[in-house]
Amino acid sequence: MRCFPAQVSGTASAGRILPGGLGFLRPPAEIELAAYGLDLRGLRVADIGAGEGRLALGAARDAASVLAIDPDRGALARGRAEARRQGLPNVKFSEGAAQSLRLPDASFDVVIFSWTL
Amino acid sequence: MVDALQEAHRILVPHGVFVDARPDSRVPARVRARTARGRVIGTIGTQRPTKTDDQLSDRAVHEVVRRKIFRSRRHGRLWHAIPFEDSAELNDYLRDHLRFSRRVEWSVSAARRATPLFVERAVRFEILEKL
Repeated sequence: MRCFPAQVSGTASAGRILPGGLGFLRPPAEIELAAYGLDLRGLRVADIGAGEGRLALGAARDAASVLAIDPDRGALARGRAEARRQGLPNVKFSEGAAQSLRLPDASFDVVIFSWTL
Repeated sequence: MVDALQEAHRILVPHGVFVDARPDSRVPARVRARTARGRVIGTIGTQRPTKTDDQLSDRAVHEVVRRKIFRSRRHGRLWHAIPFEDSAELNDYLRDHLRFSRRVEWSVSAARRATPLFVERAVRFEILEKL
């Protein structure tokens, strides 16, 4: 996987404290995704427990495609509307639960559980 | 929780990346005065049931690493600051919060609680690789 060898090593940044975003109840996507240190360009990403797509929309700016999954239909509808507003056609929102994903095997390069477990 | 991790494992390509990010209940949130980098004048703990849930999540992650279906590649923590006009607004926020304790453990007297206030909380993350 391109994002791994290039960006991540076994010991890099362990325990490093990074600045968080300001003014949001949760960190802005760009801050949180930057902290992960992953290069999402060209990758297929699944954001499980995505809610309104805070991270999914952020990831969609780099990733080839993003699937945002959440059981809350209202949150998904708001996410879809925001994706349209931001002009991000590569992010899809779908109803589902983390423990029983109706998705094919080996279909994503990156899976994100943020505030999910 | 292990079920959810196994599902994540199933949908990932070989050597795919799994990210687990959560508020870090092992570290109290800090209440800072005036600015997001201001003096720490209080702390906020985590509700006991939430702490227990977080420990179960930690165990689930340890379990999938122990079973060698994932391996940990990196972990870290970021700090996220949430601004409040004053302690009344902060108390309103805490009243219905699902994670934080209902009250601030102030380390200064009420008279020295300069405003605005910033609650800085830790978010931990772990990057795992599918094996």
